[in-house]
Amino acid sequence: MKSAGAIQKNTEKRASHDVLFSLCENAADKLILLVLLGSVLLFILWPIACIALRSLRGADGGVSFAMFGTVLRQCGESLRNSVFVGVFTAVLSTILSLSAALVCATARGWKKTLCMIIMLVAMVSPPFVSSLAYIQLYGRRGWITYRLLHLSLNPYNRWGVILMQSISFVPLNAMFLSGILEKLDEGSLRSARDLGASGGVILRDIVLPLIRPATLVCLLLSFVRSLADFGTPIIIGGRFSTLAADIYLQVVGYSDLEKSSAMNMFLLIPSIVFFFVYRALMRRSDRLTDASRTAQTELGLLLPHCGAMGWGMIALSTVFFVMIVLQYGCVFLSGFLKSTKGVYSFTLQYWDQLWRIGSSTMLRSVEYALIVSIAGTVFAMLFAYYMDRRRIIGRSLFDCLATLPYMLPGTCFGIGYILAFNHAPLKLTGTALIVLANMLFKQLPTSTKICTASLALLPEVQERSARDLGAGRLAVLRDVVFPALRPAFLSCFVYNFTSSMTTAGSIIFLIDAKRQLAVFKLFDAVYQGDYALASLIASVITVIVLLVEGLAFLITRKGENRRVSRT
Amino acid sequence: MYLELDRLSKQFDGKYAVHDLSLGLEEGGLLCILGSSGCGKTTTLNMIGGFLKPDGGRVLLDGQDITALPPERRPVSTVFQSYGLFPHMSVLQNVTYGLKFRGYSRAEAKEKGRRYLSLVGLAERENARIGELSGGQQQRVALARALIVEPKLCLLDEPLSNLDAALRVRMRGELKRLQRELGTTMVFVTHDQEEALILADSIAVMSEGELLQLGSAEEVFRHPANDYIASFLGLNDIVWKDDGSVLKVIRHGEKE
Repeated sequence: MKSAGAIQKNTEKRASHDVLFSLCENAADKLILLVLLGSVLLFILWPIACIALRSLRGADGGVSFAMFGTVLRQCGESLRNSVFVGVFTAVLSTILSLSAALVCATARGWKKTLCMIIMLVAMVSPPFVSSLAYIQLYGRRGWITYRLLHLSLNPYNRWGVILMQSISFVPLNAMFLSGILEKLDEGSLRSARDLGASGGVILRDIVLPLIRPATLVCLLLSFVRSLADFGTPIIIGGRFSTLAADIYLQVVGYSDLEKSSAMNMFLLIPSIVFFFVYRALMRRSDRLTDASRTAQTELGLLLPHCGAMGWGMIALSTVFFVMIVLQYGCVFLSGFLKSTKGVYSFTLQYWDQLWRIGSSTMLRSVEYALIVSIAGTVFAMLFAYYMDRRRIIGRSLFDCLATLPYMLPGTCFGIGYILAFNHAPLKLTGTALIVLANMLFKQLPTSTKICTASLALLPEVQERSARDLGAGRLAVLRDVVFPALRPAFLSCFVYNFTSSMTTAGSIIFLIDAKRQLAVFKLFDAVYQGDYALASLIASVITVIVLLVEGLAFLITRKGENRRVSRT
Repeated sequence: MYLELDRLSKQFDGKYAVHDLSLGLEEGGLLCILGSSGCGKTTTLNMIGGFLKPDGGRVLLDGQDITALPPERRPVSTVFQSYGLFPHMSVLQNVTYGLKFRGYSRAEAKEKGRRYLSLVGLAERENARIGELSGGQQQRVALARALIVEPKLCLLDEPLSNLDAALRVRMRGELKRLQRELGTTMVFVTHDQEEALILADSIAVMSEGELLQLGSAEEVFRHPANDYIASFLGLNDIVWKDDGSVLKVIRHGEKE
């Protein structure tokens, strides 16, 4: 009983601190919430609002729509081109993605592994790479068109842009679609077969209808990405230009912010409209699939047994996979090959070049990516938690805002930042902070989604138990929520790192000339025709990202092993 | 009264989940709130535990008004229906979690944790992970975790409903023994008449958010206040002991 007395005393001692401590903890809790919501307003809503406000500003300072007229007159053709390319790219990319996703979902054994590896590499490689490879392979002096087939084609036209955009959007789209395919209810497929449906019929009657909303989402996403893409048209468009490319040249060349704001409105408005369609489609998709199931290793369906449609898909995705392998093989090789009078030999001379001009840039890229990965992951974890588990006034509004950057063309988001943070007291232009913030908030939608998915696996009763036993709000975060989100932390980290290493569109206007990043060295090299150096930069970026992903994978597996060995 | 609910009300979407509920419980007593699903019993429990704010009314415990306190500052602990154990912590870490916020040193907490684990018969499993335990064992961990903080009041939300029939009967006895041994005041929510009958000192029958009858087990079963209660309870034949406790329950349809 002596020890019971001592414990009693302890309890009382703690109790006297209790009120004060609990007040502090509550205050900290409110502060976190305020910072989260405030940041979303400041770094997402405000920049977008700035574009709209600036585009409406007339010469006399009043409200005027004059700038839109000017833009329509001057950029009418680019606008039509953008829509033309967007539509074709969306359709082509969606068909390819659907085939590739179905092949990935139905393949088995080594074929599946191979498909996944190719997709992974394609996904983590920086932008502009497909354009780079396109010129190398199919250009005037292309390895395939010129050396192999002895043709001399002009590759710089709209079809090149469409083809390259379509191919480079496939990995992301296909990954998204396979995620949906994994969640299909196996029961419906089985019962269809049980009732006598053949493979082809199951594909047509069950699988495709179930993933139709997701397929439409793919179309939308590809269309918006195509609208936003300025790199491909600039590099291989030749005289063919799109609105995004015009915006890029406008900002870089003339720094006319009124005009580029008005031009951006033509990208911004459709993206925001599509964003709401996207949300409606995703809700419908969630109703059609079994969101509760975590993963299903393979779809109980074999594409070769799916008739003409199955074979068509296999053929299409084979072409796609071969092209991807050629592309990356070509990019990787050109970093090490030197051409003297048409004869290739091995060389390391580009390495020296890279080392001279690029080592500090490369380091800065990694450094930025690490900062954004850690900060962005913590932000997303907290944001997902507060959104999911607390009754916050205006929750749906904040949820919507935080998802908006997903559909926002990068150039819009970038120009919004210039306009929003160009003068005191929020003068951030030219600093590293504006670049980091832009990356973080551009990636917030996906980060939040990863964390929310993981949070859904944490029963609320665990948080209740902790509070019931005396844990305050912050202690619950530390002891229950963060441990449960550990797997999400890693995947969120990897996602943020990959995106930060390869993102270009939204930060291209924000980067200070003295603080270059690797992606822009790559862009400059491609633009100036320095293909060997560009290939090398692209390969190094890809390898760094793959290394980090591999490391994260090992850590996850080690964690799992430890957990398993304890049980 | 030790625990007093004073005209508690809670609405969801304009419909009363609990309406004007008043009842009291003596120190060391075990009250069962009995009712079919949707009768408001879990809502009541959540208001006592601090997870729901009542729209009206007060919760008094040991003379103190605790209506406005958040869950972590109430001297109340809960055994949840799905237990709410922490899967990333060991059994002992789970059991001693609440002591962290009560000024215990690590050694003191461990010692007390072991004592409570042996109280529920799990002394050898202190380093096990939650996932390695059977349903009954998890139940015991949840119980030990709630009792170790020496709450003034322990709430149990259908704690036996996740167990199979034989285990349920055994845990019932064990729960009663623990409650007597530690003298903890408990409120127990269930839809199982037999469970209520065997465990409770007093029973509160609820329906559609209202209290229909409050009394000792014998009172409620022998003299149901109205037809609804009679039909809700009347499934069983009960063999009473002389002191008013239950000797045996014969379920209809069972051959006995």
